[in-house]
Amino acid sequence: MSELTTVARPYARAVFEEAEKSNDLTKWSDTLGLMKAIASNDEVKALLQSPKMAKQAGAKAFLQLCGDELDGKAQNLVRMLADNNRLSLLPEISVIYEALKDEAEGSIEVLVSSAKKLTKTEESAISKALKKRLGRDVKLNVSVDESLLGGAIIHAGDLVIDGSLKGRLKKMTSAMAN
Amino acid sequence: MQLNPTEISDLIKKRIEGFDMDAEARTEGTIVSIMDGIVRIHGLSDVMSGEMIEFSNGAYGLALNLERDSVGAVVLGDYKGITEGDTAKCTGRILDVPVGPELMGRVVDSLGAPIDGKGPVNTSSMNPIERQAPGVIERQSVDEPMETGIKALDSMVPVGRGQRELIIGDRQTGKTAVAIDAIINQKGKDVKCIYVAVGQKASSVAGVVRKLEEFGAMEYTIVVAANASDPASMQYLAPYAGCAMGEYFRDNGEDALIIYDDLTKQAWAYRQVSLLLRRPPGREAYPGDVFFLHSRLLERSSRVNADYVERYTNGKVKGKTGSLTAYPIIETQEGDVSAFVPTNVISITDGQIFLDTDLFNSGNRPAIDAGLSVSRVGGSAQTKIIKKLGGGIRLDLAQYRELAAFSQFASDLDEGTRKQLERGARVTALMTQKQYSPLKTAELAFTLFAANEGFLDDIEVAKVGDFEAAMLSYIRTEKAEFLDSLNESGDYNEEIASEMKSALEDFKSKGAW
Repeated sequence: MSELTTVARPYARAVFEEAEKSNDLTKWSDTLGLMKAIASNDEVKALLQSPKMAKQAGAKAFLQLCGDELDGKAQNLVRMLADNNRLSLLPEISVIYEALKDEAEGSIEVLVSSAKKLTKTEESAISKALKKRLGRDVKLNVSVDESLLGGAIIHAGDLVIDGSLKGRLKKMTSAMAN
Repeated sequence: MQLNPTEISDLIKKRIEGFDMDAEARTEGTIVSIMDGIVRIHGLSDVMSGEMIEFSNGAYGLALNLERDSVGAVVLGDYKGITEGDTAKCTGRILDVPVGPELMGRVVDSLGAPIDGKGPVNTSSMNPIERQAPGVIERQSVDEPMETGIKALDSMVPVGRGQRELIIGDRQTGKTAVAIDAIINQKGKDVKCIYVAVGQKASSVAGVVRKLEEFGAMEYTIVVAANASDPASMQYLAPYAGCAMGEYFRDNGEDALIIYDDLTKQAWAYRQVSLLLRRPPGREAYPGDVFFLHSRLLERSSRVNADYVERYTNGKVKGKTGSLTAYPIIETQEGDVSAFVPTNVISITDGQIFLDTDLFNSGNRPAIDAGLSVSRVGGSAQTKIIKKLGGGIRLDLAQYRELAAFSQFASDLDEGTRKQLERGARVTALMTQKQYSPLKTAELAFTLFAANEGFLDDIEVAKVGDFEAAMLSYIRTEKAEFLDSLNESGDYNEEIASEMKSALEDFKSKGAW
């Protein structure tokens, strides 16, 4: 996984710089999102791995799958990836691209999982507090996880803020055990 | 079902009261792969080198390789239950171990956790296991002896407090025996001892602990054990953990002695960890920093001045110097001292005690090779009397060895050579010593005096041991006061020499050996 990230980074950076230059950040984001969805499909994965689909044959098949959603530049990207046998990297490229885009726009995507559905006021309170702490605009991505029992866990990149009842109970268990 | 000592209601109440209920913020990563105790973690973007990482099964790891998109870490302890996809948390702590006098008499592992079944160790402070050695300004020159109680060592290869003296030899040449004798000899001398066992059989470690207990040496000794069955990461860390415990005494103005038994196995463990972390192998497949592995460890053994101690203890201890003396042990293969790790450690230490298989097998125990064993600054730290009397012994023995090999081919020898050979044979016999019987300074002085003044010349070589034993017991009973004053002062002058001489003449005239 970490090796994939390392390999995918130069592609993502190149796409990002190109998109920034032509002011197409959102469009590229959608395009990469689509390609990610297609490349993550199990059947597509199996298909691309077959030796028959090496190099340009793979690119052709992939472009067909995408239909006519892709513009010239995106098609070129697919052909180049196929040439280097890196089509399977598309999901990672998309993830890194999104991170670069968020960074450039000064925003960050935050996953919040809570035990109960959050109310609007709670959500805005969380995003306000996070904005203060992280110094960036916050895009909340909310989900419900009943196994937390109470409270919420916030994931922002590598940073995790654990305010869940489950986490506290676990912490208490280890404090009592030692 | 039995209650644990920690399950008293008051204790539990206190813990609940003191429990920090705040939400916790930390950096997390995902485990990408785990094999042979090495974990690769994706994420953990702000991890420090040498930071402890907590795994979901409660085990800890140590971050060693910080790469662009991943972190390579070793698991400290059991890696059962850690699976791919688990989360790993940063703890924000550099690896540290408990230190303090509370550890004495205990057997602990590389992380300072007790493994002797005597309950928890309640230390008040922790020290990081990797620390910078004291600098030039903070050091004091070595001028106090660290006596081992072994005749051959104290007279020929003396070691001062704060020095590093290597014990090197093949397997089964008595390396550990020398080290254990040195620990036993520190009884009543206010020297704290640390015995670090790396990669040894658990039964050997248990044997050492039992011996130390038997001679009452455990009460001032800490044993740090990473046995052969422990993970390589623990074996690699054990010497650093022991060193941190020894440094506590040094920094508080006390004297400590640490034995690393042995650093060859630590280098093996480090080689394993490095190769699994995919660091490039070098000579003998050791990684590039195997020299630094030992040099940074041994450099921490030092004598520090009173200013350093005062600053370190915030003025609580004034006017006392501290020292940490190290006896690292290296095991050679077939006497090959020019292998990679032995040459490294020889060049770092202040001298070496070379133990020889042939000498050991011919009954000269401790099997110290007088020609190859040296001490670089020890001489200036010897007590006056031993320095005066022991000066010629090393030369005598080294010359005797050469001469003995040479004279095997000669049929008739001149008077001088014959005398030298006879004297050499007696000194060799005199230098043999039973295990677990360290000698005090004054007793050693009498032994050396007897050899120097020719009291042994008319004793059969086979009887030298008996003669010495009888002489020592005579002097212990008849001259107890003189012995005590000599032990105390360590002085040597005409007056003392004549008293020693008359005592020996008295003893010899009785002929009771």
